[in-house]
Amino acid sequence: METKNISLEIKDKVAYIGFGYNNEKSMTTLDEPTLKEAKELVENVKGKVKSKEVVGVIFFSHIDSCFIAGADINLISTLKTESDGAFGAEQGQLIYNDIEDLSVPTVACVHGPCLGGGMELALACKTIICSGDKKTILGLPEVKLGLIPGFGGTYRMPKRVGLPNALDLILAGKTINAKKAKRIGLVDGVYPKERLISMGEKWLKKNKKKASLKESVTDLATDNFITRKIIFQKARESVLKLTKGFYQAPLKILDTMESGASKGRASYLASEAQAFGELCVSEQSKNLQHIFFLMEGAKKYNGPKSEKQVSAPARGAVLGAGTMGGGIAWLMSNSNMYPLLKDINNDALELGLKQSSAIYRNGVKKRKLTFEDFERKQRSINPTTSYAGFKNVDLVIEAIVENLDIKKKVFADLENHVSDDCIIASNTSSLKVTDMAEAFERPERFAGLHFFNPVNKMPLVEIVAHDKVAPETLEALYKFVLASKKTPVLCKDGPGFIVNRILIPYLNEASYLLMEGVPPQDVEEACLNFGMPMGPGRLLDEVGLDVAAKVGKILYDSLGERVRPIDLSDKITELGFLGKKNGKGFFLYDEKGKETGPNPEVMNLLPKKKIHMDEVEIQKRVFLPMINEASMILDEGLVSSAAEVDLALIFGIGFPPFRGGLLRYADSEGLERIAKTIQEYADNVDAKRYALSDYLKNLVEQKKKFYEA
Amino acid sequence: MSLREVYLVDGRRTPQAKAGTALKDVGVPYLGSYLLRTILDEQGIENDVVDEVIFGNTGAPPKYPNIGRVIGLMAGLDKRTSGYTVHRNCASGMEALAQGYLKIASGRSDLIFAGGIESMSQMPLIYSKEMTDLFVNIMKAKSMGEKMKAISAFRPPFLSPIIAIEQGLTDPFCGMNMGLTAEVLAREFNISREEQDTFANRSHNLAIKALKEGKWDEEILSLAFGEKMEKLLTKDVGPRENSTIEGLGKMRPYFEKESGTVTVGNSCPITDGGSVFLMASEEAVKKHNLKPMARMVDYHFHGLEPERMGMGPLLASDGVFKRTGLSLGQMDVVEINEAFAAQVLSVRKGFAEKAVADRFGIDTVHGEIAEENFNPNGGGIALGHPVGSSGCRIVVTLAHELKRRKAKYGLASLCIGGGQGGATIIENLMN
Repeated sequence: METKNISLEIKDKVAYIGFGYNNEKSMTTLDEPTLKEAKELVENVKGKVKSKEVVGVIFFSHIDSCFIAGADINLISTLKTESDGAFGAEQGQLIYNDIEDLSVPTVACVHGPCLGGGMELALACKTIICSGDKKTILGLPEVKLGLIPGFGGTYRMPKRVGLPNALDLILAGKTINAKKAKRIGLVDGVYPKERLISMGEKWLKKNKKKASLKESVTDLATDNFITRKIIFQKARESVLKLTKGFYQAPLKILDTMESGASKGRASYLASEAQAFGELCVSEQSKNLQHIFFLMEGAKKYNGPKSEKQVSAPARGAVLGAGTMGGGIAWLMSNSNMYPLLKDINNDALELGLKQSSAIYRNGVKKRKLTFEDFERKQRSINPTTSYAGFKNVDLVIEAIVENLDIKKKVFADLENHVSDDCIIASNTSSLKVTDMAEAFERPERFAGLHFFNPVNKMPLVEIVAHDKVAPETLEALYKFVLASKKTPVLCKDGPGFIVNRILIPYLNEASYLLMEGVPPQDVEEACLNFGMPMGPGRLLDEVGLDVAAKVGKILYDSLGERVRPIDLSDKITELGFLGKKNGKGFFLYDEKGKETGPNPEVMNLLPKKKIHMDEVEIQKRVFLPMINEASMILDEGLVSSAAEVDLALIFGIGFPPFRGGLLRYADSEGLERIAKTIQEYADNVDAKRYALSDYLKNLVEQKKKFYEA
Repeated sequence: MSLREVYLVDGRRTPQAKAGTALKDVGVPYLGSYLLRTILDEQGIENDVVDEVIFGNTGAPPKYPNIGRVIGLMAGLDKRTSGYTVHRNCASGMEALAQGYLKIASGRSDLIFAGGIESMSQMPLIYSKEMTDLFVNIMKAKSMGEKMKAISAFRPPFLSPIIAIEQGLTDPFCGMNMGLTAEVLAREFNISREEQDTFANRSHNLAIKALKEGKWDEEILSLAFGEKMEKLLTKDVGPRENSTIEGLGKMRPYFEKESGTVTVGNSCPITDGGSVFLMASEEAVKKHNLKPMARMVDYHFHGLEPERMGMGPLLASDGVFKRTGLSLGQMDVVEINEAFAAQVLSVRKGFAEKAVADRFGIDTVHGEIAEENFNPNGGGIALGHPVGSSGCRIVVTLAHELKRRKAKYGLASLCIGGGQGGATIIENLMN
């Protein structure tokens, strides 16, 4: 038969079904034409099995680095109604049922990502084998998009790996490598990629082993009504603890799997399809899909184009071995950049080494890397007090003290010691990149590169442009950030760049609420209940109250009364309350950095008279100034789209992903309503802090959304 | 065959630390790899232009049988850069330089990293022959009964290990420990206990003086140490500021307990460390715009009776003088590795006294070496002797001393367990 997306070849009575046929892309997904072809193809093979022309089926991929990465997300995002979604899932289920029902041996030969719909296809085969390649990952990540696996994955996974393992895979959406897949019994064998098909042929002739005694015992232990109930209950508890109940999909998955546990295939799959239909049109899933597209978009550089071919810098260096410098040195060493780490003396250098050592050792402890890798990578950091080795360096990141004069002196000196193509970036969080650029003979090689603390945990990096920067500098930095497995956002120079600029009005407003007499715990909780990973008080402690006060002041100097800090903020730092770093801020912390409760000394500085404020009111008071400020950033052209603001806030401060981002949230709430409320606050609370931005005003007038501007 | 000039572009070393102290946890290749990396970076050379990495090493850590190759990879050199390991006992590091010299001089190679490395802390304990045989028998046994029979042959003394380091320091031919060979020289050439202790004290004093004057700053590259690899070792662990002749005089002879004169105090301690040179041909110097610190003039190795191995430097130096036509008088600085005070003092007698020279069949009396030109920054007794590295380390130290003095020629020589000597002459180019 004539096919375009999937190949079918029959040789010696074995049907070879190859995905990724004629695919020019690096990834194979199950889009509409492919699914249609799959249906016809499987029916064709079914006929040949019946007529004894085919005695075994092998599924494989023509693409070297991908089995099947899952269903096409664009296809999912076009689903408009629950019944559309449920119908779509059923169509896939029918194909996979046919595969499962083939009366001959079937083997999926997996090399490269085998995810979502691809994983579900493999599960419908009697045997799954995979390559031991690093690229081979298996899993059902649907939950990350707010979905349930809809092609029978929740039905077949527990049958193959047992209920506890299946719940681990499905509820967290985690992907696993070949070794782990073999260990939990998801795959039957792991082989070199070149031998996959020939091993698949051997498996066709093999009688699958009966379950071992250990497996039978495990099955017996988990496959009965009572233990099942306990397992589901535990899973539910841990989901609620992890997601704080904000996410619907994992709970829906649990419901489907638990209520379906004793059902037959047809009725189970009907309920899975139903659940898929409900979830795929939910706002939460749409928001999470939105973020998926934002992240995919961020994987490609979309800044000013350069005429030159730009590649990621190969060798790195860091100036300043403090907390940030040590963290950046760790990052560079982890990406095999053999970084030089320069500071003025050995004591300072040891602080930097301590940073990276601590991060690596934590990885060793969690078995994410071997001691040998730790030693190799840690020792690839070359500590030095001179510029002698800087000739070979492609990228220098400065992370010294936040003082413009000192930085300028250092840059002027540095430029004499590096090659002409060396890119130089400053990890400043509060100074103007434009001012720093003045120190350079070649300002085009320089830009801001703002990492967040702690470097190993915070995924966002702001790349800050200035008027004289060359496009290739921005592109090289972008590629460096991507290569270090972080998320880059491009912006132009402005006070606080993106994240701090939007964060300050939020933190400020939270402080004003305290001064109005709102109990601190209420403010924290209102923000937590909105979905923020921590309340404003905890966040301030984490950042450091002195740092926050300093950044706040700089923003106040350039943005004016709108972001005037509360009078108390200086006093708090003067009293020595610096936050988590010295164990006392708004909260107290023990030696291990664990929070032990509110700090009574700070609480005493707040007004004695408390007022009650409604939770939604608190949320509006703190989140609306953020939206207002973000609209001004767009107005000033510091970022090119609302999407970038949303990406920055999700990865920079953990703005709740299920809300799709700050501005997407604003869009969904209705900008008119938001503008109206801001205006009310301007009238009743503070005219300056709530001065409605022109940009937002215009959007409302034109009846547009942030994402339509 | 006409030989090409061979340049020593830059030479560096680790701080040296007594075995079991600061550097005991450093993975063995990392005692070398960062030296290569730093030299490459400072010279501004790409990672794919070096032809070969040659390292001397005697302990051959079981994990890294060919450590020269591993050092190159760990340093981030291109995978296509070949690498190997050489072993000439105490002169392994010098043997690496010698091989680099020949390859460049003959026109085969243009850029070579040659050095030496030793982690004496990590030298293994070995099972006795009885225990090894037992393991083999157990593995060979087919049935459970045969296995039990093999196991039943076990006796507790089988477990007492052989210390590889101790075995390595005992001559397999004459059966003498290296310390005993020093006692032979002390007896035959009349080196008193006091002379030995005075010399050992000099070594400590000069090493401390060099440290205080910042003389090591350039040649030593600091190295992260400790299990967490977050502390930096910047100087040698060995030289003692409070060393006195009286204090040394109180130590008991170690090898010949009653009648002997050689103590732990007037011998070199076992030590961890590494050192390396980037060697280059004239073409490579021009091509990569390098500024070599020295030229390697030539080298010579010479054998002698194993029980008098300490006199090796006398024969090797004599050989390299004859080969080059240079004389001891032309040497502005002489570095002789201090394995034992008695041994170094005997070598100096051999240079100066006809009777001693005759005893070793040397027809030239080379003369005295002025005190200020001889091991001017101390030597192995204070700094230690990481066996695989010392042959290169003394050349590194020599090159830096010649540079400081703006002097011309220098001789580096050392004795080699098993009865050999090695000597190298370099010419300083930094004026």
